[in-house]
Amino acid sequence: MGVELHSGPVELARSAGAASVVPPDQGFFDSLNGELTDKGFLVTSTEELFQWARTGSLWWMTFGLACCAVEMIHVNMPRYDLERFGAAPRASPRQSDVMIVAGTLCNKMAPALRRVYDQMSEPKYVISMGSCANGGGYYHYSYSVVRGCDRIVPVDIYVPGCPPTAEALLYGIMQLQRKIRRSGSIER
Amino acid sequence: MLAPAPAWATNLNDATVDAARAAIGSALIDAQIRVGEVQLYVHRDGIVAALTALRDTPGLEYQQLMEIAGVDYPAQAERFDVVYNLLSLTRNHRIQVHVATDEDHPIPSVTDIWPVAGWLEREVFDLYGVIFEGNRDLRRILTDYGFRGHPLRKDFPMTGYTELRYSEEEKRVVTQPVSLAQDFRTFDFMSPWEGAEYALPGDEKAAPGAALPQEKGAQTPLSADTIQKAGTSEAGKTPPKASSEPYAKTTADSTADTGKGKAETDATPKPADPDVIPSKQAGQNQ
Amino acid sequence: MSAHDDAPTMAPATTAMDPHVEEVLGIETPAHPTEGDVTIQNYTINFGPQHPAAHGVLRLVMELDGEVVERIDPHVGLLHRGTEKLIEYKTYIQALPYFDRLDYCSPMCMEHSWVLAVEKLLDLEVPIRAQYLRVFFAELTRICNHMLNLGSHVMDVGAMTPNLWLFEIREDCMNFLERASGARMHHNYMRPGGVHQDVPLKLLTDIADWLDTRLPRLFEDAISLVADNRIFKQRNVDIAIVSREDAIAWGFSGPMIRAAGIPWDLRKQQPYDVYAKMDFEVPVGTRGDCYDRFMVRVEEVRQSARIMKQCLAEMPEGPIASDDRKVVPPKRAEMKRSMEALIHHFKLYTEGFHVPAGEVYVATESPKGEFGVYLVSDGTNKPYRCKIRPTAFSHLQAMDFMSRGHMLADTTAILGAMDIVFGECDR
Repeated sequence: MGVELHSGPVELARSAGAASVVPPDQGFFDSLNGELTDKGFLVTSTEELFQWARTGSLWWMTFGLACCAVEMIHVNMPRYDLERFGAAPRASPRQSDVMIVAGTLCNKMAPALRRVYDQMSEPKYVISMGSCANGGGYYHYSYSVVRGCDRIVPVDIYVPGCPPTAEALLYGIMQLQRKIRRSGSIER
Repeated sequence: MLAPAPAWATNLNDATVDAARAAIGSALIDAQIRVGEVQLYVHRDGIVAALTALRDTPGLEYQQLMEIAGVDYPAQAERFDVVYNLLSLTRNHRIQVHVATDEDHPIPSVTDIWPVAGWLEREVFDLYGVIFEGNRDLRRILTDYGFRGHPLRKDFPMTGYTELRYSEEEKRVVTQPVSLAQDFRTFDFMSPWEGAEYALPGDEKAAPGAALPQEKGAQTPLSADTIQKAGTSEAGKTPPKASSEPYAKTTADSTADTGKGKAETDATPKPADPDVIPSKQAGQNQ
Repeated sequence: MSAHDDAPTMAPATTAMDPHVEEVLGIETPAHPTEGDVTIQNYTINFGPQHPAAHGVLRLVMELDGEVVERIDPHVGLLHRGTEKLIEYKTYIQALPYFDRLDYCSPMCMEHSWVLAVEKLLDLEVPIRAQYLRVFFAELTRICNHMLNLGSHVMDVGAMTPNLWLFEIREDCMNFLERASGARMHHNYMRPGGVHQDVPLKLLTDIADWLDTRLPRLFEDAISLVADNRIFKQRNVDIAIVSREDAIAWGFSGPMIRAAGIPWDLRKQQPYDVYAKMDFEVPVGTRGDCYDRFMVRVEEVRQSARIMKQCLAEMPEGPIASDDRKVVPPKRAEMKRSMEALIHHFKLYTEGFHVPAGEVYVATESPKGEFGVYLVSDGTNKPYRCKIRPTAFSHLQAMDFMSRGHMLADTTAILGAMDIVFGECDR
């Protein structure tokens, strides 16, 4: 492990040496790599393998409805670069694992949302993004708005905000990965 | 005009009213200039001819129909006002044309003059239920498929009558009556001195003479009959008790009763601390 | 155009009018079509309501002959949130954030129409610095909006890289807007009577640097990839040509009418705030096709940067909101010392201000076109009626005649060049 514990004041000025920047989990990857080159195979449980596969490629369905969709695009663009977490946008529900409901869900759109959700293959997850999708938000009392997309589809993660910033959505996706790891079952 | 509103050729307003009177003729009920905008009131049977005249007459030349807005005045005999907002690109002038109607009397469609009117009329039909005769595609446009009612009418509740949810039994999205966890909160903001619905003792003495507003932004006075209604309808009932009644009889002045704290003995003003008292026009939050 | 003639004959096939309407109008629907009619079945496909190229929740019912579009029936309203109804139940200040959420790609420009409409009814004077700030941020928002539109347009016709670069500019814009207002997207910055907060000097100097260095470099780089690109031109030139007459008759505005060759820009023709003092040019198209619409927007970005630089050079010091305490809340420092200020603050944030009765139609040049607010006040603290004139409504309606005779794949280019956002279209 490249990290040492300091008892004294933390040294802020980094040395100019090249090895000063250590990627996270480097020790884990090193041991994994060593094991693989040593034996030629890895031993793990199927559960962990499945979780690893699920969390590592959360392809999301671009269900942009309103304002939040813009932040959803932003999180996918170079500055936030969601794809480094293995989450890539998919236009087709058949290919996607997680649906991000981004924006106000209106009555006219609700059946379409449900249909898209039904078309997704298992295991499937839903992130409700923004206060409109969470519970109607600013449009809660409107005659044409569904008061929360959890009335239509089951929701795993709620991201608050109006709209949530791109970082908040990124955090929500990481929370979903955590949830998948912790639920710890092959069947969803 | 002090406000920095868009400056189109308002100096043409008077000339426009005269020209419109000449061009439209008897169908014109009234023409007014309010808040710097020309408003023409046209009878609905003459609307197609009037708008054609407004578009084609030299000196009027309203080439573009920008907007058709519906307004609902339930108190009027013909409750709906349909407002056509026209724009002249050549004269740089805008005009409002008002037409009154109700649920049962269709307005002739202007889709033959401006094709853009198709959707605009559909929208007014959808939201208000005003019917446009001659519009070949008068379907709902904004509201849900199968929506009932016309949501922007004043008697339509803001939250509507139905809401959606997914039914696990039926495996589809179903409609059910609205049930809200918390009602929408509205406040009337009327002080007892300005004619709130509930009457306080002694109100009847003050009722007839409400002051006129002195400046813009000040409270608008209620009409005389609302004030009288407030005075009479509650007259038989006992006025509602103030919530603080059990504790109302506190006349004690001592600081021990009020918990107010004693006045400072040296009542001289403290020296101004530059760190505490913010300076004028400085800082972000001021 | 011959395309128009088809509309009446084709309409009844899918028109299902309300029974009430048919009753009033006395229409009888024939039970059976005339015998001997040969029914030719075209492809009818459903585009959306969930489609990545639809820029939101648009549903297009398209009739195709092979791959050629015969008729398009756009279904809108899938994002109808009842904004106009909700505004009738909110005070004038509470209604302002709804405008941010209308066209969420250019929130500040939506606010602009609203505050101008309220100010016109109040006849409220606005300090000159506030007017400069509004124009300044409206133009920044315009750049922000055009980045999204240009980027998604090139992406819809197959280019990827420019979009990534343009979104980098957009991130910069949003950072600046966040520094001014506190929110990345829904700023709620303009207020009747001025703006909410003054901006720090460092923000203005940062934006000035950005206008000089980063914006031109990123933007010109990105546009140089597509403006003369052969594939991009093949996908856009001569697609959906709109004549001047059609543009006027269909109520076009903004870049759509300018691309058709009519130099009509409300900032120029009907200047509001300090646009009258600004020196900028209005780009016009020559052919009225999708490529012209694209290039008009490209030039508008450069002109917006020019306006912003002028604002920075000319912006005076001074108050940022009217000192009319019956409309504009007092400053916080004042509230600490003045009881009257505290009362004003309380009244303005609970009851709000009362607006004199009247009706106005105020339209500004939003990045997408003429965005109007028809405001009816009855003298209370809430609007009696607020009709929002969306830009997209008339443009999208023209989709039918613009797409006729073009290939299916061209519809995304046409749609991209229209610049439609459904928050505003459906309200």
